[in-house]
Amino acid sequence: MIEEIACSEKVTLVFDKKTEAALTNVSFSVKVGESFALVGESGSGKTSLLRLLLGLIEPTKGRVRLFGKSLDEIGHEELRKIRRNCGYISQDPFGGLPPTLTALQAVLEPLVVTHSSLKKDEINKAKTLLSDLGIEESLWNRKLIQGFSGGQRQRIMLARALITDPKLLFADEPTSMQDVSTRWDLVNQLKNYHQRGMSLIFVTHDLLLAKTITQKGIVLYRGLVCEEGPTALLLTDPLHPYTKALSAALPRLGRPIKIKAKRKPLPSSWEGCVYFSLCPYVFDKCKLPPPLKEVKDGRKVACFLY
Amino acid sequence: MMEVRSLSVAYPNGVKAVEEATLTLSPGKILALVGESGSGKSTLLYACLGLLPRGSKISGKVFFDHLDFLSLPEEEQRQIRWKKASLVLQGTMNAFTPVLTMKRQFVEAMEEHLNLKPADAINRAGELLKEVGLDPKFLFRYPHEISGGQKQRCAIAMALCCNPDYLLADEPTTALDVITQAEIINLLKRIVRQRNMGMLIVTHDLALATSIADKISVMHQSRIVEIASSEEIVNRPKHPHTIDLIRSLSMMEEEH
Repeated sequence: MIEEIACSEKVTLVFDKKTEAALTNVSFSVKVGESFALVGESGSGKTSLLRLLLGLIEPTKGRVRLFGKSLDEIGHEELRKIRRNCGYISQDPFGGLPPTLTALQAVLEPLVVTHSSLKKDEINKAKTLLSDLGIEESLWNRKLIQGFSGGQRQRIMLARALITDPKLLFADEPTSMQDVSTRWDLVNQLKNYHQRGMSLIFVTHDLLLAKTITQKGIVLYRGLVCEEGPTALLLTDPLHPYTKALSAALPRLGRPIKIKAKRKPLPSSWEGCVYFSLCPYVFDKCKLPPPLKEVKDGRKVACFLY
Repeated sequence: MMEVRSLSVAYPNGVKAVEEATLTLSPGKILALVGESGSGKSTLLYACLGLLPRGSKISGKVFFDHLDFLSLPEEEQRQIRWKKASLVLQGTMNAFTPVLTMKRQFVEAMEEHLNLKPADAINRAGELLKEVGLDPKFLFRYPHEISGGQKQRCAIAMALCCNPDYLLADEPTTALDVITQAEIINLLKRIVRQRNMGMLIVTHDLALATSIADKISVMHQSRIVEIASSEEIVNRPKHPHTIDLIRSLSMMEEEH
């Protein structure tokens, strides 16, 4: 029995040498049965990190382990075997599903790939998943994927990812197109599977959603981890000034949004803290990069305030 | 005062998207129109400006300061549209022509509606960009050279170019991350206050609505089911649908 299911070890990712790195020295580890969040705004590197963990791209420096295997040491066949234990929900429901299948065919496709004849209980399971996720029976066979809305496609994608009972699910903003009520169908389904032992890596820019679904997580800003800890505390007691801004910017019932951030570029060839130009607390030391260090109760933060 | 009276809309295919909607909006106030996908909220917004597909059936009235807008001939509607009430679109990612600089797009709108000379229009566009917190240099960029949040600011600046009395915004922050969203919301609030404009904002996000709007009207299955102050909606929702929405949101905020 391995304790750790996915792990990123000092990963740096550079797409283009002329621009800044997409990820810099990112380390974290997800244990078996854990539900882990990658939080950050657009462009912070969340999706790249998911793709690295799945072995779809390779890190420039550092390494990635999945199910205890270092991805740079195994061949393509073994990687495929490992991936069979993983589910993946892409952030783009328009590009992430085969457009010419029906909803039911799309959900069953991952099973068809692994064995040729479908069992009756597998078909029933697909139907149950679809109806639990609010896709009505009249839509299962008649309509092709291309006729479904973004929100419906996201729900079909979740059913398709869960049909194989993955040990680890990668979900990239899986509720971005949902209304409040249908969002709950997705959240509950994710939680159900998690309670039955599935590990989860969940990408979002919404700390409230992160807290609802996951126990632990990291906050990324410009490709660097600025804070790591229990997601409930990232929301209610954020340490890093950026996490504070993320939490304050969330719309909550009946409360005005408290945020004053003005976007300013970093000085050129800057080597200090990447949050320098936005941070309300800057002092001299911030011209150096702050290390990610443990502060209390297993919480880590990369900021000279602590 | 902007007034919508018993407005109903049926699309050419017969679908009744809005039924008997009635609401009012005062200058300097923000009214949020909240509902789930398919509830009819965007249709209601476009109907107010006479911007529905040909062949749609509309009944009821829309008044902008006692001007009975929908009964005007199409050409007259077009002439006063940007001046009385202008529109900030959903998904500004695609709202601008990709092959023209922002300057051309601003000038085009102002030449058409204000008869300004290009040089004056460019000056005015620069002022508007400053008002929404952007450097006037952005005028020389193409849409793909501008980030999502900046594009949204440009869209707001453009909507302001004819000094409208009312601003109608369709999901103005969807697809933006939370921090950018907060910036845009604060910008809209400031502009409404400074210009004493009325703003109707369509959103599916009730939490967002309660943090920006003075009043909220909740739409469900083509009808407005409840209108009340934000405070009232949060603390004493009356319609079962509103109660459901509030409950699912507070579940997320409270549960640990």
